[in-house]
Amino acid sequence: MTISLAIDTSTSKTIVGVIEDGVVLFEKAHEGATDHGCALSELVAEALKVAKPPHQVVVGMGPGPFTGLRVGIAFAQTFALARQIPVIGICSLDAIAIDKDQYTVAIDARRKEIYWATYKAGIRIAGPAVNKPAEVPDFIIDVYPDMQKLVALAQTQNVTEPMYLRRPDAVPTAERA
Amino acid sequence: MQPIVLGIETSCDETAIGIVRGRTLLANVIASSVDEHARFGGVVPEIASRAHLEAILPSIERAVADAQISLKDIDAIAVTAGPGLVGALLVGVASASGLAQGLGRPLYGVNHLAAHVSVDYLTHEKPTAPTIALLVSGGHSSLLQVDDITGSITKLGATMDDAAGEAFDKIARLLALGFPGGPAIDREAVGGSATAIDFPRGLTTSQDWETRPYEFSFSGLKTAVARYIENTPAFIRADVAASFQESIVDVLLLKALAACKSTGIDSLVIAGGVAANSRLRAVAAERCAKAGIELRIPAAGLCTDNGAMVAALGSLMLSAGRPATHGAFDADSSLKVEQVSL
Repeated sequence: MTISLAIDTSTSKTIVGVIEDGVVLFEKAHEGATDHGCALSELVAEALKVAKPPHQVVVGMGPGPFTGLRVGIAFAQTFALARQIPVIGICSLDAIAIDKDQYTVAIDARRKEIYWATYKAGIRIAGPAVNKPAEVPDFIIDVYPDMQKLVALAQTQNVTEPMYLRRPDAVPTAERA
Repeated sequence: MQPIVLGIETSCDETAIGIVRGRTLLANVIASSVDEHARFGGVVPEIASRAHLEAILPSIERAVADAQISLKDIDAIAVTAGPGLVGALLVGVASASGLAQGLGRPLYGVNHLAAHVSVDYLTHEKPTAPTIALLVSGGHSSLLQVDDITGSITKLGATMDDAAGEAFDKIARLLALGFPGGPAIDREAVGGSATAIDFPRGLTTSQDWETRPYEFSFSGLKTAVARYIENTPAFIRADVAASFQESIVDVLLLKALAACKSTGIDSLVIAGGVAANSRLRAVAAERCAKAGIELRIPAAGLCTDNGAMVAALGSLMLSAGRPATHGAFDADSSLKVEQVSL
Protein backbone atom coordinates (compact mmCIF):
# COMPACT_ATOMS: atom_id res chain seq x y z
CA MET A 1 0.00 0.00 0.00
CA THR A 2 1.52 3.27 -1.13
CA ILE A 3 0.09 6.74 -0.74
CA SER A 4 1.57 9.33 -3.10
CA LEU A 5 1.34 13.10 -2.98
CA ALA A 6 1.37 14.26 -6.62
CA ILE A 7 2.28 17.81 -7.67
CA ASP A 8 2.52 19.46 -11.06
CA THR A 9 3.14 23.17 -11.75
CA SER A 10 4.42 22.90 -15.32
CA THR A 11 1.34 24.56 -16.84
CA SER A 12 -0.86 27.53 -15.95
CA LYS A 13 -2.60 25.17 -13.52
CA THR A 14 -1.35 24.16 -10.10
CA ILE A 15 -2.42 20.51 -9.75
CA VAL A 16 -2.25 18.43 -6.58
CA GLY A 17 -3.39 14.86 -6.08
CA VAL A 18 -3.31 12.11 -3.50
CA ILE A 19 -3.19 8.63 -5.05
CA GLU A 20 -3.35 5.38 -3.09
CA ASP A 21 -2.32 2.36 -5.15
CA GLY A 22 -3.76 3.77 -8.35
CA VAL A 23 -6.92 5.09 -6.70
CA VAL A 24 -7.47 8.85 -6.69
CA LEU A 25 -8.31 10.01 -3.16
CA PHE A 26 -7.93 13.70 -3.98
CA GLU A 27 -7.25 15.75 -7.08
CA LYS A 28 -7.70 19.45 -7.48
CA ALA A 29 -6.39 22.11 -9.84
CA HIS A 30 -6.16 25.87 -9.58
CA GLU A 31 -5.98 27.94 -12.77
CA GLY A 32 -3.65 30.98 -12.75
CA ALA A 33 -0.29 31.35 -14.45
CA THR A 34 1.24 33.36 -11.59
CA ASP A 35 -0.58 31.71 -8.69
CA HIS A 36 1.53 28.59 -8.22
CA GLY A 37 3.12 29.70 -4.94
CA CYS A 38 -0.07 30.39 -2.99
CA ALA A 39 -2.20 27.76 -4.71
CA LEU A 40 0.23 24.91 -4.13
CA SER A 41 0.53 25.53 -0.44
CA GLU A 42 -3.26 25.74 -0.06
CA LEU A 43 -3.99 22.66 -2.17
CA VAL A 44 -1.42 20.54 -0.34
CA ALA A 45 -2.89 21.59 3.01
CA GLU A 46 -6.27 20.47 1.73
CA ALA A 47 -4.90 17.23 0.28
CA LEU A 48 -3.19 16.27 3.54
CA LYS A 49 -6.52 16.43 5.34
CA VAL A 50 -8.21 13.80 3.17
CA ALA A 51 -5.67 11.02 3.44
CA LYS A 52 -3.09 9.36 5.64
CA PRO A 53 0.46 10.79 5.41
CA PRO A 54 2.05 10.15 2.00
CA HIS A 55 4.87 7.64 1.52
CA GLN A 56 6.33 9.44 -1.46
CA VAL A 57 6.06 12.67 -3.43
CA VAL A 58 5.79 12.53 -7.23
CA VAL A 59 6.41 15.82 -9.03
CA GLY A 60 6.24 17.03 -12.62
CA MET A 61 9.71 18.24 -13.69
CA GLY A 62 8.48 20.08 -16.77
CA PRO A 63 9.00 21.14 -19.41
CA GLY A 64 7.07 24.26 -18.45
CA PRO A 65 7.42 27.99 -17.84
CA PHE A 66 10.35 28.26 -15.45
CA THR A 67 9.10 30.29 -12.52
CA GLY A 68 5.99 28.23 -11.86
CA LEU A 69 7.78 24.97 -12.58
CA ARG A 70 10.38 25.70 -9.91
CA VAL A 71 7.71 26.36 -7.28
CA GLY A 72 6.40 22.79 -7.59
CA ILE A 73 9.84 21.18 -7.64
CA ALA A 74 11.18 23.22 -4.70
CA PHE A 75 8.09 22.51 -2.60
CA ALA A 76 8.11 18.79 -3.42
CA GLN A 77 11.79 18.44 -2.54
CA THR A 78 11.63 20.16 0.83
CA PHE A 79 8.33 18.54 1.79
CA ALA A 80 9.87 15.13 1.07
CA LEU A 81 12.99 16.07 3.00
CA ALA A 82 10.93 17.12 6.00
CA ARG A 83 8.95 13.85 5.94
CA GLN A 84 12.02 11.76 5.12
CA ILE A 85 10.24 10.22 2.14
CA PRO A 86 11.42 9.87 -1.48
CA VAL A 87 10.64 12.41 -4.20
CA ILE A 88 10.33 11.14 -7.77
CA GLY A 89 10.45 13.42 -10.81
CA ILE A 90 8.40 12.80 -13.95
CA CYS A 91 8.36 14.44 -17.39
CA SER A 92 5.10 16.41 -17.11
CA LEU A 93 4.13 15.84 -20.77
CA ASP A 94 4.25 12.08 -20.16
CA ALA A 95 1.51 12.50 -17.55
CA ILE A 96 -0.97 14.01 -19.99
CA ALA A 97 -3.47 11.18 -20.53
CA ILE A 98 -4.82 10.77 -24.09
CA ASP A 99 -6.87 7.75 -25.11
CA LYS A 100 -5.17 7.08 -28.46
CA ASP A 101 -2.41 4.83 -29.78
CA GLN A 102 -0.39 7.67 -31.30
CA TYR A 103 -0.62 11.32 -30.36
CA THR A 104 1.30 14.54 -29.75
CA VAL A 105 0.64 16.65 -26.66
CA ALA A 106 1.72 20.23 -26.06
CA ILE A 107 1.60 22.92 -23.43
CA ASP A 108 2.07 26.67 -23.76
CA ALA A 109 5.75 27.63 -23.55
CA ARG A 110 4.99 31.38 -23.92
CA ARG A 111 6.87 33.51 -26.49
CA LYS A 112 4.56 32.00 -29.13
CA GLU A 113 6.08 28.55 -28.69
CA ILE A 114 4.98 25.22 -27.27
CA TYR A 115 6.60 22.40 -25.33
CA TRP A 116 5.59 19.12 -26.95
CA ALA A 117 6.20 15.38 -27.16
CA THR A 118 4.86 12.54 -29.33
CA TYR A 119 3.81 9.10 -28.04
CA LYS A 120 3.09 5.75 -29.68
CA ALA A 121 1.81 2.71 -27.83
CA GLY A 122 2.54 4.41 -24.54
CA ILE A 123 6.17 5.22 -25.40
CA ARG A 124 7.55 8.72 -26.00
CA ILE A 125 8.94 8.62 -29.56
CA ALA A 126 9.74 12.34 -30.06
CA GLY A 127 10.42 15.30 -27.79
CA PRO A 128 10.21 16.77 -25.30
CA ALA A 129 11.14 19.83 -27.30
CA VAL A 130 10.20 23.48 -27.69
CA ASN A 131 9.07 24.82 -31.10
CA LYS A 132 6.73 27.19 -32.85
CA PRO A 133 3.24 25.62 -33.17
CA ALA A 134 3.50 25.64 -36.97
CA GLU A 135 6.50 23.32 -36.76
CA VAL A 136 4.61 20.63 -34.83
CA PRO A 137 1.86 18.68 -36.65
CA ASP A 138 -1.49 17.84 -35.00
CA PHE A 139 -0.91 18.43 -31.35
CA ILE A 140 -3.37 18.40 -28.46
CA ILE A 141 -2.90 21.41 -26.19
CA ASP A 142 -5.95 21.68 -23.93
CA VAL A 143 -5.31 18.63 -21.76
CA TYR A 144 -3.32 18.92 -18.52
CA PRO A 145 -1.17 16.43 -16.62
CA ASP A 146 -3.16 13.73 -14.87
CA MET A 147 -2.08 12.96 -11.30
CA GLN A 148 -3.01 9.28 -11.50
CA LYS A 149 -0.82 8.87 -14.59
CA LEU A 150 1.95 10.97 -13.03
CA VAL A 151 2.10 8.61 -10.05
CA ALA A 152 1.89 5.49 -12.24
CA LEU A 153 4.95 6.71 -14.17
CA ALA A 154 6.95 6.88 -10.94
CA GLN A 155 7.46 3.12 -11.20
CA THR A 156 9.49 3.47 -14.37
CA GLN A 157 11.13 6.89 -14.42
CA ASN A 158 12.85 9.43 -12.20
CA VAL A 159 13.81 12.73 -13.77
CA THR A 160 16.21 14.50 -11.40
CA GLU A 161 16.78 17.79 -13.24
CA PRO A 162 14.15 20.40 -14.16
CA MET A 163 13.37 20.18 -17.89
CA TYR A 164 13.88 23.79 -18.97
CA LEU A 165 14.71 23.06 -22.65
CA ARG A 166 15.79 26.69 -23.05
CA ARG A 167 18.91 28.48 -21.97
CA PRO A 168 18.57 31.60 -19.80
CA ASP A 169 18.31 34.85 -21.78
CA ALA A 170 21.53 36.69 -21.13
CA VAL A 171 24.33 38.11 -23.22
CA PRO A 172 27.88 38.04 -21.84
CA THR A 173 29.39 41.54 -21.45
CA ALA A 174 32.10 40.71 -23.98
CA GLU A 175 29.53 39.90 -26.69
CA ARG A 176 27.45 43.06 -26.25
CA ALA A 177 27.45 45.60 -29.04
CA MET B 1 15.47 25.63 25.80
CA GLN B 2 15.23 28.48 23.33
CA PRO B 3 13.46 27.85 20.03
CA ILE B 4 15.37 26.80 16.92
CA VAL B 5 14.59 28.74 13.76
CA LEU B 6 15.76 27.92 10.23
CA GLY B 7 16.01 30.89 7.86
CA ILE B 8 16.00 30.78 4.05
CA GLU B 9 17.29 33.63 1.88
CA THR B 10 17.14 33.56 -1.95
CA SER B 11 16.37 37.16 -2.90
CA CYS B 12 19.35 37.62 -5.23
CA ASP B 13 22.26 35.34 -6.11
CA GLU B 14 23.01 33.69 -2.77
CA THR B 15 21.17 30.55 -1.72
CA ALA B 16 21.56 30.90 2.01
CA ILE B 17 20.37 28.87 4.98
CA GLY B 18 20.89 29.90 8.59
CA ILE B 19 19.90 28.19 11.79
CA VAL B 20 19.75 29.91 15.18
CA ARG B 21 18.80 28.81 18.66
CA GLY B 22 17.49 31.94 20.32
CA ARG B 23 20.29 34.36 19.49
CA THR B 24 22.99 31.74 19.07
CA LEU B 25 24.11 31.06 15.51
CA LEU B 26 24.21 27.31 14.86
CA ALA B 27 24.74 27.23 11.08
CA ASN B 28 25.23 29.67 8.22
CA VAL B 29 25.49 28.02 4.81
CA ILE B 30 25.84 30.15 1.69
CA ALA B 31 25.95 28.85 -1.88
CA SER B 32 26.57 31.68 -4.31
CA SER B 33 26.04 31.72 -8.06
CA VAL B 34 28.15 34.89 -8.34
CA ASP B 35 30.74 33.21 -10.60
CA GLU B 36 28.05 32.30 -13.11
CA HIS B 37 27.02 35.96 -13.35
CA ALA B 38 30.51 37.44 -13.59
CA ARG B 39 30.76 37.19 -17.39
CA PHE B 40 27.43 39.03 -17.70
CA GLY B 41 28.65 41.93 -15.53
CA GLY B 42 25.70 41.60 -13.16
CA VAL B 43 23.17 39.17 -11.74
CA VAL B 44 21.06 37.41 -14.40
CA PRO B 45 17.71 36.58 -12.75
CA GLU B 46 17.06 33.30 -14.58
CA ILE B 47 20.57 32.02 -13.88
CA ALA B 48 20.14 32.94 -10.21
CA SER B 49 16.77 31.18 -9.99
CA ARG B 50 18.11 27.98 -11.56
CA ALA B 51 21.07 28.01 -9.22
CA HIS B 52 18.77 28.46 -6.20
CA LEU B 53 16.77 25.37 -7.10
CA GLU B 54 19.96 23.34 -7.51
CA ALA B 55 21.48 24.54 -4.27
CA ILE B 56 18.54 24.76 -1.90
CA LEU B 57 18.19 21.15 -0.82
CA PRO B 58 21.90 20.41 -0.29
CA SER B 59 22.21 23.74 1.55
CA ILE B 60 19.38 22.89 3.97
CA GLU B 61 20.88 19.46 4.56
CA ARG B 62 24.31 20.91 5.20
CA ALA B 63 22.97 23.56 7.57
CA VAL B 64 21.10 20.95 9.60
CA ALA B 65 24.27 18.85 9.76
CA ASP B 66 26.42 21.86 10.71
CA ALA B 67 23.97 22.79 13.46
CA GLN B 68 24.08 19.20 14.73
CA ILE B 69 20.34 19.06 15.01
CA SER B 70 17.68 16.99 13.29
CA LEU B 71 15.01 18.58 11.10
CA LYS B 72 12.41 17.68 13.70
CA ASP B 73 14.15 19.95 16.22
CA ILE B 74 13.24 23.03 14.18
CA ASP B 75 10.50 25.07 15.85
CA ALA B 76 9.82 27.58 13.08
CA ILE B 77 10.88 28.47 9.55
CA ALA B 78 11.53 32.02 8.34
CA VAL B 79 11.97 33.00 4.71
CA THR B 80 12.72 36.19 2.81
CA ALA B 81 9.41 37.11 1.14
CA GLY B 82 10.83 40.27 -0.48
CA PRO B 83 12.10 42.57 -1.75
CA GLY B 84 14.27 40.96 -4.40
CA LEU B 85 14.14 39.15 -7.73
CA VAL B 86 10.72 37.56 -7.92
CA GLY B 87 11.77 34.29 -9.57
CA ALA B 88 14.60 33.91 -7.08
CA LEU B 89 12.40 34.73 -4.08
CA LEU B 90 9.80 32.19 -5.19
CA VAL B 91 12.26 29.30 -4.97
CA GLY B 92 12.93 30.21 -1.35
CA VAL B 93 9.29 30.76 -0.44
CA ALA B 94 8.19 27.48 -2.06
CA SER B 95 11.01 25.61 -0.33
CA ALA B 96 10.11 27.16 3.00
CA SER B 97 6.42 26.31 2.53
CA GLY B 98 7.26 22.69 1.70
CA LEU B 99 9.51 22.42 4.72
CA ALA B 100 7.01 24.10 7.05
CA GLN B 101 4.12 21.93 5.85
CA GLY B 102 6.24 18.81 5.87
CA LEU B 103 7.35 19.44 9.45
CA GLY B 104 4.06 20.96 10.60
CA ARG B 105 5.79 24.11 11.87
CA PRO B 106 4.88 27.81 11.61
CA LEU B 107 6.28 29.87 8.75
CA TYR B 108 7.29 33.53 8.90
CA GLY B 109 7.54 35.43 5.62
CA VAL B 110 9.92 38.28 6.46
CA ASN B 111 11.44 41.38 4.93
CA HIS B 112 14.96 41.09 3.53
CA LEU B 113 15.90 44.62 4.60
CA ALA B 114 14.69 44.19 8.16
CA ALA B 115 16.58 40.88 8.28
CA HIS B 116 19.83 42.65 7.35
CA VAL B 117 19.42 44.93 10.35
CA SER B 118 18.30 42.17 12.72
CA VAL B 119 21.45 40.11 12.22
CA ASP B 120 22.96 42.48 14.80
CA TYR B 121 20.87 40.57 17.36
CA LEU B 122 23.19 37.58 16.99
CA THR B 123 26.10 39.53 18.42
CA HIS B 124 24.34 41.64 21.04
CA GLU B 125 22.14 40.79 24.00
CA LYS B 126 19.19 42.75 22.71
CA PRO B 127 18.35 44.33 19.41
CA THR B 128 19.24 47.99 19.73
CA ALA B 129 16.03 49.98 19.78
CA PRO B 130 15.55 52.57 18.74
CA THR B 131 18.39 52.78 16.27
CA ILE B 132 19.19 54.38 12.96
CA ALA B 133 20.10 51.77 10.35
CA LEU B 134 22.10 52.39 7.21
CA LEU B 135 21.37 49.57 4.82
CA VAL B 136 23.74 49.44 1.89
CA SER B 137 24.02 46.63 -0.64
CA GLY B 138 24.02 45.86 -4.34
CA GLY B 139 20.26 46.26 -4.52
CA HIS B 140 19.44 48.71 -1.73
CA SER B 141 20.64 51.91 -0.09
CA SER B 142 18.31 53.09 2.65
CA LEU B 143 18.38 55.00 5.87
CA LEU B 144 15.92 53.64 8.39
CA GLN B 145 14.66 54.47 11.83
CA VAL B 146 14.09 51.21 13.68
CA ASP B 147 11.91 51.48 16.78
CA ASP B 148 11.11 47.78 16.95
CA ILE B 149 12.80 45.42 14.52
CA THR B 150 9.85 43.02 14.66
CA GLY B 151 7.25 45.56 13.70
CA SER B 152 8.12 49.23 13.52
CA ILE B 153 10.52 50.51 10.90
CA THR B 154 10.33 53.93 9.26
CA LYS B 155 12.12 54.71 6.04
CA LEU B 156 13.89 58.07 6.31
CA GLY B 157 15.34 57.98 2.82
CA ALA B 158 16.76 55.79 0.07
CA THR B 159 18.69 56.05 -3.14
CA MET B 160 17.02 57.85 -6.01
CA ASP B 161 19.00 55.96 -8.64
CA ASP B 162 21.75 53.36 -8.19
CA ALA B 163 22.27 51.41 -4.98
CA ALA B 164 25.68 51.96 -3.38
CA GLY B 165 26.80 48.44 -4.23
CA GLU B 166 25.65 48.91 -7.79
CA ALA B 167 27.84 52.01 -8.04
CA PHE B 168 30.79 49.93 -6.85
CA ASP B 169 30.01 47.34 -9.56
CA LYS B 170 29.79 49.95 -12.31
CA ILE B 171 33.00 51.72 -11.34
CA ALA B 172 34.79 48.39 -11.02
CA ARG B 173 33.71 47.62 -14.59
CA LEU B 174 35.07 51.00 -15.78
CA LEU B 175 38.35 50.22 -14.04
CA ALA B 176 38.40 46.64 -15.40
CA LEU B 177 38.43 45.26 -11.86
CA GLY B 178 35.74 42.60 -12.43
CA PHE B 179 32.50 41.64 -10.70
CA PRO B 180 31.46 41.95 -7.91
CA GLY B 181 32.94 45.42 -7.65
CA GLY B 182 32.80 46.05 -3.91
CA PRO B 183 35.64 43.80 -2.73
CA ALA B 184 37.66 44.58 -5.90
CA ILE B 185 37.57 48.34 -5.31
CA ASP B 186 38.22 47.90 -1.61
CA ARG B 187 41.43 45.99 -2.46
CA GLU B 188 42.51 48.35 -5.23
CA ALA B 189 41.92 51.44 -3.06
CA VAL B 190 44.41 50.27 -0.44
CA GLY B 191 47.33 51.48 -2.55
CA GLY B 192 45.67 54.71 -3.67
CA SER B 193 45.01 58.18 -2.33
CA ALA B 194 41.49 58.95 -1.15
CA THR B 195 42.07 62.67 -1.66
CA ALA B 196 43.77 62.47 -5.07
CA ILE B 197 40.56 63.30 -6.97
CA ASP B 198 37.71 65.37 -5.60
CA PHE B 199 34.70 63.42 -6.85
CA PRO B 200 31.22 64.90 -6.18
CA ARG B 201 29.16 64.08 -3.08
CA GLY B 202 25.62 63.46 -4.35
CA LEU B 203 22.68 65.37 -2.81
CA THR B 204 24.72 67.34 -0.29
CA THR B 205 24.07 70.93 -1.36
CA SER B 206 22.42 73.14 1.26
CA GLN B 207 19.18 72.85 -0.66
CA ASP B 208 19.45 69.05 -0.68
CA TRP B 209 19.95 69.07 3.09
CA GLU B 210 16.72 71.03 3.37
CA THR B 211 14.53 69.10 0.96
CA ARG B 212 15.94 65.56 0.83
CA PRO B 213 18.45 65.12 3.64
CA TYR B 214 18.29 61.31 3.68
CA GLU B 215 18.06 60.55 -0.02
CA PHE B 216 21.10 59.27 -1.90
CA SER B 217 22.17 59.61 -5.51
CA PHE B 218 25.19 57.90 -7.00
CA SER B 219 24.62 58.31 -10.72
CA GLY B 220 26.34 61.72 -10.86
CA LEU B 221 29.36 60.24 -9.14
CA LYS B 222 29.44 57.41 -11.67
CA THR B 223 29.36 59.91 -14.55
CA ALA B 224 32.09 61.98 -12.94
CA VAL B 225 34.35 58.95 -12.58
CA ALA B 226 33.67 57.90 -16.19
CA ARG B 227 34.48 61.39 -17.44
CA TYR B 228 37.65 61.57 -15.34
CA ILE B 229 38.89 58.27 -16.79
CA GLU B 230 38.08 59.41 -20.32
CA ASN B 231 39.88 62.72 -19.89
CA THR B 232 42.86 61.36 -18.00
CA PRO B 233 44.65 58.81 -20.19
CA ALA B 234 47.34 58.27 -17.56
CA PHE B 235 44.93 57.92 -14.65
CA ILE B 236 46.12 56.01 -11.63
CA ARG B 237 43.67 53.20 -11.02
CA ALA B 238 44.28 52.92 -7.29
CA ASP B 239 43.70 56.67 -6.84
CA VAL B 240 40.44 56.55 -8.79
CA ALA B 241 39.26 53.57 -6.74
CA ALA B 242 40.23 55.20 -3.43
CA SER B 243 38.77 58.62 -4.29
CA PHE B 244 35.54 57.11 -5.59
CA GLN B 245 35.22 54.96 -2.48
CA GLU B 246 35.88 57.98 -0.29
CA SER B 247 33.07 59.90 -1.93
CA ILE B 248 30.52 57.12 -1.35
CA VAL B 249 31.66 56.47 2.21
CA ASP B 250 31.60 60.17 3.01
CA VAL B 251 28.03 60.69 1.74
CA LEU B 252 26.68 57.55 3.39
CA LEU B 253 28.07 58.54 6.77
CA LEU B 254 27.25 62.25 6.50
CA LYS B 255 23.60 61.32 6.02
CA ALA B 256 23.54 58.50 8.57
CA LEU B 257 25.04 60.71 11.26
CA ALA B 258 22.73 63.57 10.35
CA ALA B 259 19.80 61.17 10.86
CA CYS B 260 21.13 60.21 14.29
CA LYS B 261 21.51 63.85 15.21
CA SER B 262 18.10 65.03 14.06
CA THR B 263 16.22 62.12 15.63
CA GLY B 264 18.27 62.21 18.82
CA ILE B 265 19.03 58.50 18.44
CA ASP B 266 22.61 57.75 19.44
CA SER B 267 22.86 54.32 17.88
CA LEU B 268 23.74 53.33 14.32
CA VAL B 269 23.65 49.89 12.70
CA ILE B 270 25.29 49.55 9.30
CA ALA B 271 24.23 46.44 7.40
CA GLY B 272 24.16 44.99 3.90
CA GLY B 273 26.98 43.87 1.63
CA VAL B 274 28.63 47.30 1.40
CA ALA B 275 28.99 47.24 5.20
CA ALA B 276 31.82 44.79 4.56
CA ASN B 277 33.82 47.63 2.94
CA SER B 278 36.89 48.27 5.06
CA ARG B 279 36.97 52.04 4.46
CA LEU B 280 33.29 52.40 5.41
CA ARG B 281 33.92 50.46 8.61
CA ALA B 282 36.99 52.55 9.52
CA VAL B 283 35.48 55.97 8.82
CA ALA B 284 32.22 55.00 10.53
CA ALA B 285 34.10 53.95 13.66
CA GLU B 286 36.03 57.21 13.70
CA ARG B 287 33.07 59.52 13.13
CA CYS B 288 30.69 57.68 15.48
CA ALA B 289 33.26 57.74 18.26
CA LYS B 290 33.65 61.47 17.79
CA ALA B 291 29.88 62.04 17.79
CA GLY B 292 29.19 59.77 20.76
CA ILE B 293 27.14 57.34 18.71
CA GLU B 294 27.19 53.63 19.41
CA LEU B 295 28.13 51.88 16.17
CA ARG B 296 27.21 48.31 15.32
CA ILE B 297 28.37 46.61 12.15
CA PRO B 298 27.82 42.86 11.80
CA ALA B 299 30.85 40.64 11.20
CA ALA B 300 31.84 40.80 7.53
CA GLY B 301 30.36 37.33 6.83
CA LEU B 302 26.96 38.46 8.13
CA CYS B 303 26.83 41.70 6.11
CA THR B 304 26.30 40.17 2.69
CA ASP B 305 23.08 38.23 2.07
CA ASN B 306 22.84 35.26 4.42
CA GLY B 307 20.32 32.94 5.99
CA ALA B 308 21.37 33.66 9.56
CA MET B 309 19.85 37.13 9.35
CA VAL B 310 16.52 35.68 8.24
CA ALA B 311 16.65 33.10 11.02
CA ALA B 312 17.56 35.88 13.47
CA LEU B 313 14.54 37.95 12.48
CA GLY B 314 12.32 34.87 12.67
CA SER B 315 13.67 34.15 16.13
CA LEU B 316 12.99 37.74 17.23
CA MET B 317 9.44 37.55 15.87
CA LEU B 318 8.87 34.29 17.70
CA SER B 319 10.18 35.57 21.03
CA ALA B 320 8.21 38.81 20.64
CA GLY B 321 5.06 36.71 20.31
CA ARG B 322 4.40 37.91 16.78
CA PRO B 323 2.04 35.58 14.90
CA ALA B 324 3.38 33.47 12.04
CA THR B 325 2.29 34.38 8.53
CA HIS B 326 -1.29 33.27 8.21
CA GLY B 327 -2.06 30.94 5.34
CA ALA B 328 -0.35 30.74 1.98
CA PHE B 329 1.61 33.72 0.72
CA ASP B 330 3.54 34.76 -2.34
CA ALA B 331 6.89 36.44 -2.77
CA ASP B 332 6.62 40.23 -3.04
CA SER B 333 9.47 41.57 -5.14
CA SER B 334 8.82 45.17 -4.09
CA LEU B 335 7.97 44.61 -0.42
CA LYS B 336 8.27 47.91 1.45
CA VAL B 337 10.71 48.10 4.33
CA GLU B 338 7.95 49.25 6.68
CA GLN B 339 6.38 45.82 6.33
CA VAL B 340 8.65 43.66 8.48
CA SER B 341 6.63 40.49 7.93
CA LEU B 342 3.64 39.27 5.94
